[in-house]
Amino acid sequence: MNKITGRFWRALSLTSWVMASLSFVSMAGGAEEALPSLSYDQTGERLLKVQANQLFESTDGGAAWTMIPLPDEVAEGRLVTVSEPATAEQALYIAGPSIGVQRSTDHGETWQELNDGLPNQDVTALDVHRHQPETLYVVIADDGLYQSEDAGTTWKKMDSGPAQPVRRLIHSDMEGSMQTGWLYAVSDDAVRLSMDCFCGWRPTGELDAGRVYDLAYKLDDPEHVYVATEQGLWRSDNGGQEWQQVKGDGPTFVTLTLAPQGTLYALDREGELMRSEDQGQTWTPPDA
Amino acid sequence: MRKLWILVTTWLLMSAAGQAMAGGGPSSRDTSRLEEGERIYQQYCASCHGSEGEGQPNWEHQNAQGELPAPPHGPEGHTWKHSDAMLYRIIAEGWRDPWNKTERLTMPAFENVLTPAEIRSVVNYLKTLWTPEQRRHQAEESEGAPFPSQSE
Repeated sequence: MNKITGRFWRALSLTSWVMASLSFVSMAGGAEEALPSLSYDQTGERLLKVQANQLFESTDGGAAWTMIPLPDEVAEGRLVTVSEPATAEQALYIAGPSIGVQRSTDHGETWQELNDGLPNQDVTALDVHRHQPETLYVVIADDGLYQSEDAGTTWKKMDSGPAQPVRRLIHSDMEGSMQTGWLYAVSDDAVRLSMDCFCGWRPTGELDAGRVYDLAYKLDDPEHVYVATEQGLWRSDNGGQEWQQVKGDGPTFVTLTLAPQGTLYALDREGELMRSEDQGQTWTPPDA
Repeated sequence: MRKLWILVTTWLLMSAAGQAMAGGGPSSRDTSRLEEGERIYQQYCASCHGSEGEGQPNWEHQNAQGELPAPPHGPEGHTWKHSDAMLYRIIAEGWRDPWNKTERLTMPAFENVLTPAEIRSVVNYLKTLWTPEQRRHQAEESEGAPFPSQSE
């Protein structure tokens, strides 16, 4: 009898262990991969990098990086992006799942939560309007796209967004919009585009390049767009209607940004910075 | 669908009438403008956007020429996301989608066909096709972007 009871308990504990392991694997599989992200702050003439839940800046083209202090809430969440107005504002916005949106106007010394009016803090993407420093856009996971026209004080749901999860949202002042510009939404499978009046998401041109990571456009020629993908860098000269692969010598980049002079900066999966002065053909490290 | 549309239109017309009877506003003018808006819609817009505002099939996808089919004007469409100023401008000046590879405008211009007051009437008629929440959203969008003054 004791033998049977012992076998029963052993079987039960084994089953529990297997179930717990499967549950862990499932959770780990469901968690989003934390990739670094890069952005160029025109007013501060600096690069901003999000990596491993930390925020860094570089004012020398990426040769040296300084950490910017972050609010305590970041430790509880996953910082995915940083964005800053293109005009002369001191504001710096950060966002991520379980963090929501926060703003600092004193170089990270203090941060202000801007989540009133958002349904939750699971923000997967954020961007500031190209010309309107108080207009912000965020994507809330499994919900949709929200807009604030008062620097995050109030939010309004504008759209359910593309059906696919959005990892990057980029506002562009490319011509042809009914309103003030366009929004690119980067998902794993594709780049989609909508006018900023939210009258429908259109797929950009065929991009058979595996997973799509990030997008950047040339500030003085917004139809000139780059995307970083699993299969390298792609470029479009017509806002994404058609893509051509850039036959460059760079590694696989997971994020990229363009400085006003046309310098292309990109990070690989490990957060190593490279730059290109010839539209992605050749890449060099920042101190080269 | 048609019954629902008739019900909504009737309700709006009766609301306008009721408001006037309560001394709230010029009901007969509002009513006649909505009727005028519907008449103009059926004459100039329905051939593309549908007699009930149902739009063309596959309206969300560009065709081989890069043209977007005419969208619906009801709750399933996106007309309600645009301010009065923008809707007026699109009807008056037309609009060309930048990905349209044809010589045609995506939406034809009507400024040489309709008077400013007629354009305003047809936009007000389109509002009868939306949900109350969509009307509220559109009214907020129009606060900073109303109809141009010449349409009054």
